[in-house]
Amino acid sequence: MTCSSTSTDCLLELYEEKLELEDYQSGVPRWCTGCGDNAILTAIQRLCRDENLRPEKTVFVSGIGCSSRFPHYMKTYGFHGIHGRALPVAEGVRLARPDLTVFVNTGDGDCCSIGAAHWIHAIRYNMNLTVFLHDNQIYGLTKKQASPTSPIGTKSNTTPRGSYLEALNPLTVTLGIANASFVAQAVDWIPESLYDIVKAAHHHKGLSFVRILQRCPEWLPKLHESDMQEPDSVQLLHHENSLQISPSLARIYKNQLRHDPLDMNRAREIASSTDVVPVGILYQNRDIPCYEDIRKLDILRTNETVRKGFEAELDKYAV
Amino acid sequence: MEADLQAFVAFYLTGKKQPDQLHEIGDLNLRPSLFSGYRDLTRLRYDFPLVLVEYPDEGRFVETLSGLIDGILNKVAIGPNGERIRKNVLNLEESIRVRINNGATGLFSKLWDQAAPALAKQDKQMADSLSRARANLKIDGEVVDCTEELTFRLFGHAWSLTQKRRAEKFNENIDRLILKLSDIIQADFINSDAGKSAENLKHSFGSGPLDSFNFEAMSNILKKVSSKKKLAKSRRHRILGLISTLRSQRFFPTESSKVGTATAPYSFAYTTCSGALKAYRDRLPKAIELSRTMAIAELEIKGEYSESRHDALFESFGENGLDAEELAVFPDYLVRLNATTLSGPEQSTLTEILSADLPIKILVQTDDVIEESLIGNNHLAFALRSKQLATMAIGMNGVFVLQSPASYLYQLRQQILRGLDYAGTALFSVYSGASANTASVPPYLVGAAALESRVFPAFSFDPSAGRDWASRFSLAFNTQVENDWPVREIVYQDERYQTVAQATPFTLIDFVTLDTRYCKHFARVPRACWGDALTPVAQTLASEGRGQIETVPYLTMVDSDNLLHRVIVDEKLIREARRCRVMWNSLQELGGIHNSHAEKLLAREKRAWEDTMRSTVVETPAKAAPAVVSSAAVSVVEQEAERSSDEAYIETPRCSTCNECIQLNKKMFAYDGNKQAYIADITAGSFAQLVEAAENCQVSIIHPGKPRDPNEPGLDELLKRAEAFM
Repeated sequence: MTCSSTSTDCLLELYEEKLELEDYQSGVPRWCTGCGDNAILTAIQRLCRDENLRPEKTVFVSGIGCSSRFPHYMKTYGFHGIHGRALPVAEGVRLARPDLTVFVNTGDGDCCSIGAAHWIHAIRYNMNLTVFLHDNQIYGLTKKQASPTSPIGTKSNTTPRGSYLEALNPLTVTLGIANASFVAQAVDWIPESLYDIVKAAHHHKGLSFVRILQRCPEWLPKLHESDMQEPDSVQLLHHENSLQISPSLARIYKNQLRHDPLDMNRAREIASSTDVVPVGILYQNRDIPCYEDIRKLDILRTNETVRKGFEAELDKYAV
Repeated sequence: MEADLQAFVAFYLTGKKQPDQLHEIGDLNLRPSLFSGYRDLTRLRYDFPLVLVEYPDEGRFVETLSGLIDGILNKVAIGPNGERIRKNVLNLEESIRVRINNGATGLFSKLWDQAAPALAKQDKQMADSLSRARANLKIDGEVVDCTEELTFRLFGHAWSLTQKRRAEKFNENIDRLILKLSDIIQADFINSDAGKSAENLKHSFGSGPLDSFNFEAMSNILKKVSSKKKLAKSRRHRILGLISTLRSQRFFPTESSKVGTATAPYSFAYTTCSGALKAYRDRLPKAIELSRTMAIAELEIKGEYSESRHDALFESFGENGLDAEELAVFPDYLVRLNATTLSGPEQSTLTEILSADLPIKILVQTDDVIEESLIGNNHLAFALRSKQLATMAIGMNGVFVLQSPASYLYQLRQQILRGLDYAGTALFSVYSGASANTASVPPYLVGAAALESRVFPAFSFDPSAGRDWASRFSLAFNTQVENDWPVREIVYQDERYQTVAQATPFTLIDFVTLDTRYCKHFARVPRACWGDALTPVAQTLASEGRGQIETVPYLTMVDSDNLLHRVIVDEKLIREARRCRVMWNSLQELGGIHNSHAEKLLAREKRAWEDTMRSTVVETPAKAAPAVVSSAAVSVVEQEAERSSDEAYIETPRCSTCNECIQLNKKMFAYDGNKQAYIADITAGSFAQLVEAAENCQVSIIHPGKPRDPNEPGLDELLKRAEAFM
């Protein structure tokens, strides 16, 4: 057995660099003014600062789309991957570097369309990842095409007469997959609850899936207007084993629901609701094992073992 | 399995090892598992080395190397090259650390200049970074690492600065007194015939047209004027005596003594208590004389000295010595002792000093805190000499006491200054961590381990802080002060390469493993014999008494490759660890933690309250528990309730960082630390901009209030638009 690390606050008064929000900021976001991605970026930067996540030990993986530009704006490690493949890349990072904190930023097109298969299996594998689905219900980067989560009737460049299909609900889909261990929904226009949910997701061991409803002021400016103007259209979920609502938030958002995050049936009901926008943790089960814990690797992935493995494979083709 | 247990139990009870089942640990170079991350301290940024600042600002007599480097980086590592400069300067810091570790000494600036050229040679950018940083090196001083010499040097430095400060104040006062007294003599001379002589008048005229002035005529006129009463002979004699005493004082260096024209000042730094005490006694009459002189001088200057009234009083001045206030103007004595060389007579002199409340600061350095006791039989003495000294000194009530390992001294720098400034005796008990028996581990780690394991806890007792124990005694410097032992998490990879986290207390036994003298109390268990017969040390320590021995306590240790080993411990060390815990618990009680009196009182009050509640209980409908209200949230609500609708404001906590307002006017709107908008400067923009920002805000949280400028164009229309956001 090898002792790999110890707590750093023991014995030595180490000079821990305390990072500020700006220290996690890299470059000026190219997102449109008013875009909900800005709010998500702020919430995640706050999380990094408050949890003192070391930039060199943190990685953001994304696919393609507006939201997937996320790693460019974080001064951490990042991988701007290929369309729909954020999750497999993140799983690879997780397996090869279990010491890193891995976040995934994916959009509704990226995750729920071309990457849907990966999404389903990533939920099933339940690896220790924090996944943020930036759901603006439209393809924004390519200038307004209907996405799988676009509400029926959405007029877009690909559906000029309005989309024909009912929108896919990422929450009900995720809750229907075996081994789902953390499913939550947030909205970008309530920063306090967004931060609380992001934080809870980070603290959860296993795959935390957070769907964040976000505004797209450029292509669907009216989509969430009524939800924002009418606080009762948002239903805040709370429970003693889950998130609690602060008095200042409770003053504005009076539509509240006590929901036990272990109650899967109720979670599915809430996820299916169409009259209100549920915000909070719908389901959390801390007992579902992570894939990396189930799989007992019988060899340590050192550079030496990887090299030997490569050589063994290549030797098969030796003449 | 049974055979294993028998062998383990035999070792546990007798200390005898069966070679095929248990191994000696002497040659394995094992360390406590919590040390696995700290192999090469030069690669870590932590409290050491320290820089003894040459010309410090108030109280900042010592800085850490990393702290100074960070200060420089804050100034230079900015802008587009900031990251590069930071990396390069941190490389230099590591290089300086390595040099110090290899024995380099000297000023911070000198070590910088020695280390920088080698790095600057590598590339131009490095040279550029280092030269920019060097230009901002403003704080300099001797660099000291955590070694055997640290304590004496650090305290010597702090003490000399305290004395320097006191000397400046003292000399200023003495100079003032001499000047004023001399003025009295001078005034008397001017009024005398000699003072009015033509020759003296000529001398006092300076360089001017001497020939055009008749000094003889002037002298004759002045002599005719009736002069004031002459200075009485006795007063004149007294004042001259006062000036002479003030000029010849040797307690602080004067300008004359510095250039060698006056007798050298007294030395106040000693290496023995007897030397310091003798010097104090010998100099006491001089101190009394000087103190009396200063008191008389003050009266003379004010013209209030009356021989009939004051002569008798000052005749008996200082018969009972000097009080604390009078002594406070004189230098304090510093005695630097090493506990290992403290002889019996020296100890009794030390006790005499502590009990007499003399202005002597005593520093006792201990290099060995687990020496074998005089009674032998492997009974550990637990720093008997130094630690008992500190607890004894606390019992004397009037002594300032500070105990700490050397590794923690930087954190206690303010307490050190308080102790040195304390008007009375102060005792500083410091464990250096530098001993031949722990040579394989850096003194810093040994000292830190002594603190962590409660073997040498840090505490302070400051009689000037108040009258009660809660004000005077502090144990807060120790980690996890509420616990018997600090509990840390070690993370390791098991044989299946899986990560395992395990809470591990750090106890006296971990500390003892660092000492080569006590290897015989430990035995390594081969991997094949690990099983149910072993139980973690903490578990054994937690259970009281022996009972039937079914398991044997083990420690987790690491070798030089960071491989984990299990090492069992004999019963003697378990007993010693329990004894150490009892001592710690006593200190905790003094510090108000788990205080038995308070707990008994609390239990009594709780019982009384429960009885009252039972007797007066009435059936009331169950009320919903009130929601937990955070103070921050309440303050937000209160703030908003207090606001008037005339005032422009943003509901900052609700801001979703959409950038709309910021893009409109960056001076008027700004982001706070959470990147949420607030009105930074209401004067930096117009009411029209406030209204536009409110309209653009995605979450409608900007409230424009009332316009500040009644002459702003289009105000009527703007007010109409603003109504929606009131």
